[in-house]
Amino acid sequence: MLRSLTVQLLSLVGTLLLVLSLVFVAMRALPGDAAAVLGGTEASAEQVDALRRQLGLDRPIAVQFAAWWGDLARGDLGDSIRERRPVAQVIGDRVPVTLALAGLAFALSVIAGLGLGLLAGRRPGGPADGGVLAFTTVGLSLPEFWFGFLLILVFAVELGWFPVIGYPTEGGAGVRAWHLLLPAVTLAIPRAAQLARLTRARLLEELHADYVRTARSKGVGARALTRHVAANALPGLLPLLALELGGLLTGTIVVEQVFGLPGLGLTLLGSISARDYPVVQGVTIVAVLVYVLVNWLADLAQVAADPRLKYA
Amino acid sequence: MRRRRWSRGAVGAWLLALVVLSALVGPELVPYDPIEPDYRARFATPSAEHWLGTDNLGRDVFARALAGGRVSLVITGAATLLALTVGLVTGLAAAGLRGPVDVVLTRAFDALLAFPGFLLVLLLVAMLGGGVGQTIAALGVAGSPLYFRLTRAFTRQELQRDYVTAGIALGASHVRLLFRHALPNFAGALAVQAASTAAAFLLVEASLSYLGLGVPLPTPSWGNVLQDARAFLTRQPWAALGPGLVLATAALAFQFVADGVRDRLDRRS
Repeated sequence: MLRSLTVQLLSLVGTLLLVLSLVFVAMRALPGDAAAVLGGTEASAEQVDALRRQLGLDRPIAVQFAAWWGDLARGDLGDSIRERRPVAQVIGDRVPVTLALAGLAFALSVIAGLGLGLLAGRRPGGPADGGVLAFTTVGLSLPEFWFGFLLILVFAVELGWFPVIGYPTEGGAGVRAWHLLLPAVTLAIPRAAQLARLTRARLLEELHADYVRTARSKGVGARALTRHVAANALPGLLPLLALELGGLLTGTIVVEQVFGLPGLGLTLLGSISARDYPVVQGVTIVAVLVYVLVNWLADLAQVAADPRLKYA
Repeated sequence: MRRRRWSRGAVGAWLLALVVLSALVGPELVPYDPIEPDYRARFATPSAEHWLGTDNLGRDVFARALAGGRVSLVITGAATLLALTVGLVTGLAAAGLRGPVDVVLTRAFDALLAFPGFLLVLLLVAMLGGGVGQTIAALGVAGSPLYFRLTRAFTRQELQRDYVTAGIALGASHVRLLFRHALPNFAGALAVQAASTAAAFLLVEASLSYLGLGVPLPTPSWGNVLQDARAFLTRQPWAALGPGLVLATAALAFQFVADGVRDRLDRRS
């Protein structure tokens, strides 16, 4: 398994090279012409041509491709057309909001998902199990943005406990968390539902294993048994956790829009409609790298937590 | 445990039938045009004439929700079918032909899987431009890697069984073995997955159209009806609550159907 993880890493690098090339092609397949957009509606054909030369868009596509890889290797993501500054700066300015939101949502979903899953799995068919089943079913059917509306209507408009939309430019962590709580709950609900279902399934699977029956017949106490079962059942949750965590960097888009949070998601949306392709490309590359890396690390962590996989 | 008279699958099937029926015949029964503005009737509160009131352009929200259901359900169904078909055909080809075909296809789908799901759909829609057909294509492409992987794995597993060796000895053709013998053994598992995919696609399409990237206005879809409602959320909460509730019900129905099919398959095996 350790060797196969190394092979996997090499294969991942190959996939990433392919993906980044795809991104290059895709950005040039997007409708609209960056030079025309930058020039604005009043620009003459000569001005647009000059801009195109300045941006290097008149060079052969192979030369552009090579230059693009060169820039990328040096960590240069190009300049934003709309904001006229490096894409890395734009991302750096916006990413803290998204990271805070994603972190809070992830923490909430893990606490709720694990808790509910363990609660439901302990007595399958019991009232707690039924309640959790109802929660997960509804949680997975709720349109994220619509649930956001509900929270805004109830907790921000009617009760006035939370700000309706927006994010403070100054203020301490407490004030910020106050603004992030409703959006984080919105994001956490479907993710907690998914995690609860998997936790319950893994727990039941493990409780039916032969070693549990043997241990019980030998009189092992509930606490010791819980420790054994948890050690076997929990590493199996890592892949799902990684998919959720890795996906949150761009998974916040809809919620950022609903709650008016100036994060990476809103930047991406704005850049798509303004045809600011360097930013779209930069955000895509960062999101893909984070997603792939988190998933690979989860595979590593799973092997570390579950030594049986080393020999699988 | 007391025996439940209604299984989840049955409830899901009835709910789904209800939603589909309302989308099919509903727009014919409501005497309002879902697209034509009527500026004399802006922001009406719910009444006997306008069950969910009217929006900022005086259009009946209930009529738009029904008409939007048509568009959303067509996109969901077509996109699920597209993802399933693309994944199935390529998966069978990869497992059946092996060699370079397998390597190229597996690499290509791995590349798609390197994108977080929603980002991939978003980029594809941005690339193709908004519209019903474009949204179907984007969802179909983004959903296909899952079906490719499932089909490829199942087919490889089936091809190692004795009945396949026997079939080859008896002179059955490759195509016949794949479609007539291997495929029926895992078609059920793909069907369960397709119902879950439909539930997810329904919500993703709504998100895309809500963001203004999927179905362009004035064509209604559940997502952009809710986008309209967002702007007047505090003034007209019912315009957001009604269509959203229908959307959530439809997603729930698809999930129940998936659970029902899965239970039935589990009992059989």
